[in-house]
Amino acid sequence: MQSDPARPAVVLSRVNARFADQKRNALALKDVSLSIPAGSFVSVVGPSGAGKSTLMRVVLGLMRPESGTIVRNFSKPAMVFQNYALFPWLTALDNVAFGLRMQGVPRQERVRIALEKLREVGLESIARHYPAALSGGQRQRVGLARALAISPDLLIMDEPFSNLDTITAEALRTDLLKIWRSYGMTILMVNHLIPDAVELSDSIILMGAHPGRIVNSFDIGLPRPRDPRSPQFFREVDRITGLIRGISQT
Amino acid sequence: MIRSVSHQPTRAWNHAHQKRHRRGWILITTIIIATVLFAALGDFSSVPWLTLTGAVLQTTVRLVFAYLIALSVGVAIALLVGWSPFTDALFPVFDILQNVPSFALIPFFIYFLGYTDRMIILFAVSSVLWPILFAVLAAIRNAHADLNDAATIFGARGIRRIPFYLMPLSLPAVLTGSIVGIAIGWESIIGAEIITNAAGFGSFIKDASATGVNQSAVAGMLVILLIVFTINRLVWAPLMTESAKRYAE
Repeated sequence: MQSDPARPAVVLSRVNARFADQKRNALALKDVSLSIPAGSFVSVVGPSGAGKSTLMRVVLGLMRPESGTIVRNFSKPAMVFQNYALFPWLTALDNVAFGLRMQGVPRQERVRIALEKLREVGLESIARHYPAALSGGQRQRVGLARALAISPDLLIMDEPFSNLDTITAEALRTDLLKIWRSYGMTILMVNHLIPDAVELSDSIILMGAHPGRIVNSFDIGLPRPRDPRSPQFFREVDRITGLIRGISQT
Repeated sequence: MIRSVSHQPTRAWNHAHQKRHRRGWILITTIIIATVLFAALGDFSSVPWLTLTGAVLQTTVRLVFAYLIALSVGVAIALLVGWSPFTDALFPVFDILQNVPSFALIPFFIYFLGYTDRMIILFAVSSVLWPILFAVLAAIRNAHADLNDAATIFGARGIRRIPFYLMPLSLPAVLTGSIVGIAIGWESIIGAEIITNAAGFGSFIKDASATGVNQSAVAGMLVILLIVFTINRLVWAPLMTESAKRYAE
């Protein structure tokens, strides 16, 4: 969990990426350079169109950048999606075990691990349910368990809380911090709420839109565990919000 | 399938579903009763039932073969194309091909294969294939980008992507494609039988209706309706229900 800037998990240097489909063709990332320390929790914040999701896809190698270099010091990436992206034809248990199945882990072993991960996110009882029968919060927990099952060294989360109600999201944030502490993986999270980002992250990367680019990054100067109702917390949120406002006005 | 709001089969959904289910059965029962009533009233006294049964069986067997071939070929092509990076390039090609009216090609089939069973079956394959192929290809193309990414990230890469991701993903499409395909299959086979005079249901109603609408023609139509509705109720309806439940959003 101790982040070590000398041993970055991901380094991007002057990366340009183009987003192209039938409707549009735009520079989604312009000249993006960043370094994510191994074991750190980094949030990416920015308006829509800032290329946050594109950044995640480029880091994971799902999308080829147009130019620039990427150093990936991770071997087992996993991802949690805003829309959960669970396989509807598989039970919660089989969804969690999917990555292990692809790695060739024998059935008995992968069921054991998947059940363990489901227990970790508090969903052992719904192991045999299909995603359609689960609530949004439950689905996102299954999504998290699916990611944890492959013991990732980099966990990418694309707005994992934005489809959840506040109470569910809060519970999941608490669990996520617990998980991060015990696993010690690097977490890169797209977030759109500043307080969420301040509560969770070591640092925040602020992105701007059209073209998508990194505008600035800030370290969060609060000791852990953080109390999201303390005056210090509110001061930090205000400070970051002020910085962001200052940038977006220029 | 990966929308934010969980949509569970509610009471209203169940109610609507059961209502549709009941209507289906009422329709079948009506056809059966109508057939029996006609027969009892002596309207079908001159119908050669044995010939009709034999003709329907022949047509059905041809349809089963044509469907099974079209299913395996269509699904295989769609999966391979959907798996390859050429989906977007090949989609318009298939789109044009499916627009070719299959009966326009029947002279070719007759020329190469003659007036044979094989000709009728392969001709039917050429029309049943498209709805299945297209349904599967569309399902793969329209899959949510996140689901594609999830499959890739968690290891469904390379050729393994087909059995572990693309195949289960397109199962509901195979179902809907099959229903449309089989409907077209009946048309093609009966049409081909009418054109070629090969023994089967097509030539049976052609002969029967040569002298206008008569008992045999009406009996024949009722029998086909009965078969179509029975297959729908016993095979497709339960599969569709299961698929709707499993793949619900």
